[in-house]
Amino acid sequence: MKTALSIMLLGCTASTAAMAQDTLTISVYSFAQDEYRAALYKPFEEICGCELVIETGNSVERMAKIEANAAEPVIDMAVISTQDALSLARKDLIAPLDSAKLSNFDKLYQAAQDPIGDHMAVGYTFYASSIVYRSDLVDITSWGDLLGDEVAGQVALPNITGTQGPPTLMMLGKALDHGDDFKPVISTIGEKADDIVTFYSRSSELVQLMNQQEVIAAPVGRFAWSSFKDAGLPFAWAEPAEGQAGGMNVMVMTKNNGNEELAYQFMDYWLSTEVQTKVAEMLVDSPANKEVTVSDEIADNLTYGADVIEALNILDPATILDQREDWVDQWNTEVIR
Amino acid sequence: MFRNTREGLALALPAAIFSTLLFILPVGILLSEAFRQGGSWSVQGYIDFFASPLNRTVFLRTLKLGVLVAGSAAIIGYAAAFCIVNLSPKARGRVFGMVVLPLMISPVARTYAWIVILGRTGIVNEAITGLGLSDTPIRLLFTETAVYLGLLQLFLPLMIISLVSAMENIPRDVIPAARVLGASWFAVFFKVILPLTKEGLVIGGTLVFTGALTAYITPAILGGSKVLMLETLLYQRVNVSNDFVSAGVIAMILIVMSFTANLLLKRIATTRS
Repeated sequence: MKTALSIMLLGCTASTAAMAQDTLTISVYSFAQDEYRAALYKPFEEICGCELVIETGNSVERMAKIEANAAEPVIDMAVISTQDALSLARKDLIAPLDSAKLSNFDKLYQAAQDPIGDHMAVGYTFYASSIVYRSDLVDITSWGDLLGDEVAGQVALPNITGTQGPPTLMMLGKALDHGDDFKPVISTIGEKADDIVTFYSRSSELVQLMNQQEVIAAPVGRFAWSSFKDAGLPFAWAEPAEGQAGGMNVMVMTKNNGNEELAYQFMDYWLSTEVQTKVAEMLVDSPANKEVTVSDEIADNLTYGADVIEALNILDPATILDQREDWVDQWNTEVIR
Repeated sequence: MFRNTREGLALALPAAIFSTLLFILPVGILLSEAFRQGGSWSVQGYIDFFASPLNRTVFLRTLKLGVLVAGSAAIIGYAAAFCIVNLSPKARGRVFGMVVLPLMISPVARTYAWIVILGRTGIVNEAITGLGLSDTPIRLLFTETAVYLGLLQLFLPLMIISLVSAMENIPRDVIPAARVLGASWFAVFFKVILPLTKEGLVIGGTLVFTGALTAYITPAILGGSKVLMLETLLYQRVNVSNDFVSAGVIAMILIVMSFTANLLLKRIATTRS
């Protein structure tokens, strides 16, 4: 009886260990999960013979979960923005990545190989940000046009707390000749606050406002362009004199998660030409892998190609992290009021 | 009613356990965070909250809109309730059904309807430009007016229901008697109807005021980040800043405001009688 019980217990322990070994928990953005399942999750599960546990949510929730479980990580790898990755790195919650374990590493654009320094992250997608506008009502040639009389009362800006907020301040700073100092930019937005319809938080909110003709011009990420393109109204993507802003999302590995090998395998698969092409063709993410080739029609919806990516004005994540609190304070005092 | 208190307690026990475990305990733990600072008890969170000009503006705006919505709902509610109780039983049922109907529709759908009405190309702006009152559409969305209208429409049925219930209990001859004795309609309202319906007004007022304070969807959709209210600020604190201490402070302020409104309304009702 005792022996039988021991065998049963041993069996249970062994199967639990096997289950734990064959499970990879990833933390990702909530959008396009059906597309990711088809192009990435399912094929990877078939290759590795493992199970992917997908945790979704907004960045704040997902970062909080990683921080709360630092001693015993429940998340193995996460995809987040560069500034969030740097924030986790500064809190010593993520581990440096060994590029030798990523066979697709050399295929990445230079900017994606070590975006936050110390090899703490690797970029998997770029996005450009510019201004979407109603070409039948207004002509946008500069970021400064957003604060001009022509669009007064019909323009929306991203909220400072959102991903698009700081890049918009950077480009407005260039247009208004304030350089890298955001303080006078925020003050100018404050003076013009009555001319701004709203400060949106999500691109879906902006799509709705522009389709209802409440707003005729606003800065937005290229990833949302397909929602405007097929809306039936004459929307155009501006090519401002100051150029386009840009951003990057990255992959990070939580520290001491005990599942590093499987996490590397998954990251490498995600960065492969095959997966990056599939995800790009679904118009989900613009590729960070320079070997990806897509049709002109697909490319038109993405941030695609070396020329486009190299020309992007990408705000230093350290600057965002170090100064965000001051910007938000000033924004709350002078803009939201 | 019960043979002994044990029977009564036994009946109340499941509801008491449910409320304690799933409401009082988690809410209590969450709110206690608002009194913790660096591991010790403190009210610093509240001092910090009111030190911010933005927070003060949001607090006063929430209070102002809550009072305006509750006050407007009381005025419109009394008129509507008076009409409803004086209808024939059949018509009363139908009209009452129409009052209750919006409560069965999701607040999200109801609020989105306001976007269609108040937008630049909405009905109101079409009428304004059509009548030549303005050359260009005026901004109605993302203003306090839009939030006020949305909240009033959302909670008016609660006030009407409370006042109709209260008015149905007024003896039928009281109002005609007051009129026969020479009382003006003004005097009838303040000296007869109001004292006899004060309980309904307290219940309706508390429901509408509390609802207006704690509504999230309507201020979020119709006010956006330009017309922040305490509830939308609370959401920002949790979802943007991951600042549960500030969120706890805001939640506690909302609870205190709701209880104060209820006590104040009761006091006013008592004083009047």
